[in-house]
Amino acid sequence: MDSGKVKFFLGEVLRNFTRNTGMQMTAIGTVAITIVLLGLFLFVRAAVADAGRQFLDQISVSAYLRADATPAQADAISHFLAQDPRVASVQFVPKKQALAELRQRTQGTIDTALLTENPLPDKFRIKARVTEDVPAIADSVRRLSGVENVVYGQKLVARMLQLGAVLRRVGIAVIVVFFAVAGIIISNTIRLTVFARRREIAIMQLVGATSTYIRLPFICEGLLDGFIGALFAVALLAIARATLWPRLLEALPWAQIAVTPIDPRVLAAELLLVGAAIGVLASWISVGRHLRT
Amino acid sequence: MISLRGVSLVYPNGVRALDNVNLEIAKGDFVFLVGDSGTGKSSLLRLLYREAKSTTGEITVDGIRVDRLRRNRIPALRRHLGVVFQDFKLLVDKTVWENVAFAMQVTGAHTRDVMRQVPRVLDLVGLSHKSRMYPGELSGGEQQRTAIARALVNNPKILLCDEPTGNLDPANTTEITALLLRINLKGTTVVVATHNQAVVDRMRRRVVRLEDGRISTDEERGYYYLGLGESQVLSG
Repeated sequence: MDSGKVKFFLGEVLRNFTRNTGMQMTAIGTVAITIVLLGLFLFVRAAVADAGRQFLDQISVSAYLRADATPAQADAISHFLAQDPRVASVQFVPKKQALAELRQRTQGTIDTALLTENPLPDKFRIKARVTEDVPAIADSVRRLSGVENVVYGQKLVARMLQLGAVLRRVGIAVIVVFFAVAGIIISNTIRLTVFARRREIAIMQLVGATSTYIRLPFICEGLLDGFIGALFAVALLAIARATLWPRLLEALPWAQIAVTPIDPRVLAAELLLVGAAIGVLASWISVGRHLRT
Repeated sequence: MISLRGVSLVYPNGVRALDNVNLEIAKGDFVFLVGDSGTGKSSLLRLLYREAKSTTGEITVDGIRVDRLRRNRIPALRRHLGVVFQDFKLLVDKTVWENVAFAMQVTGAHTRDVMRQVPRVLDLVGLSHKSRMYPGELSGGEQQRTAIARALVNNPKILLCDEPTGNLDPANTTEITALLLRINLKGTTVVVATHNQAVVDRMRRRVVRLEDGRISTDEERGYYYLGLGESQVLSG
């Protein structure tokens, strides 16, 4: 390894990087903001997905039996469900128990004492192993004799999925905009450096430096902008996670979000990579534009 | 070493800078390109190091077909050439040493070779004692000598000079001219575009005169002004 060569190259990169500190800070700041947003987005998305999953996991299918269903029919249903590999558990809820549960749940709001007879049917409470199988299980149970009706909160499930999709779309739009802004600012920063160094570039071209060699220091500068910006962002996110996140969990106990919906080390690595990539891409484009003309 | 056949150069704005130029320059030649401003001297040099691309004709430089050269092969061509300009084109924030070494470093030379070659060319141009000075601390002649050292550091077979004495006083002009001659005597082919009459007349070398983008005369041991040379050769 030619250490003199490396030293010369690093010296060139450092000189570029320190030539226009103000612009460099702007570029780094913009990348940092972009990456923080991206990190938040990925985190919130993971949290929402996680919460949604837990919520969906709790969804059970209720198969209500006809009032005239015989115990033999109920046994057949129970047997059928027990053999279905998609089903995690089956619980028979006789009407008495259903009424008791209802009383408990609606305590104080509905006076169940007014009921002269139990209007509730017997039912099976079925849990699926995988939430996605819920509609199929519901369908197969509906066809069994003795079953009056099957309910599993269809609308709620659809809502959840829809909400997730909207969140994702808005998030992606915001992030695309910020990526564009960060890209443009880095590319302008590099263009300033290119402009400041146009004489050197001209001489490099004159003495026969390859365009790859000429590009390299600028690419490194963009890489530094992107990487340092991402580093700041990751630090900020880490601080936010350590301080704000526990409080948020405390404030929203019902949200049922896992403490760590996404592995922070993986997220940090991804964000650093993304930051470096924006920097490289933006500088590649702006140097290329200069060299072609 | 250098050969142009039927070379024309029309710039995008329609200006015809060179028109059917035929020129042969042998290895080890010393050639003056003379002519008034705008007659195509610089354009001709620019074609040789492929800063400009000929519109028609064949150009061969050190065995390389420059007119057909692909973009990514231009650096290879330029490593065979040294180019010197009127305005020196030195980097003001680098020392003499760094300016010269720069040409090697950016073409991927090994540090060992840089350390060996830079003192050699600085000695040749007589600037060893000023290697740590910056261009701003040097006279015009010294700056041009630095530029020549940079052009020579990669051992080119051809040195192209575009008005090398254009910014210099007579004393420095003499000094630079003598240096170019010395370089030529070491075997480097030297092509100098100039309109410095004194230099041309004192040197008595081959003089190629351009008029309106065409070669009007080509004289061995010529003078700046037409027809005073000892023999007239038609090239091409």
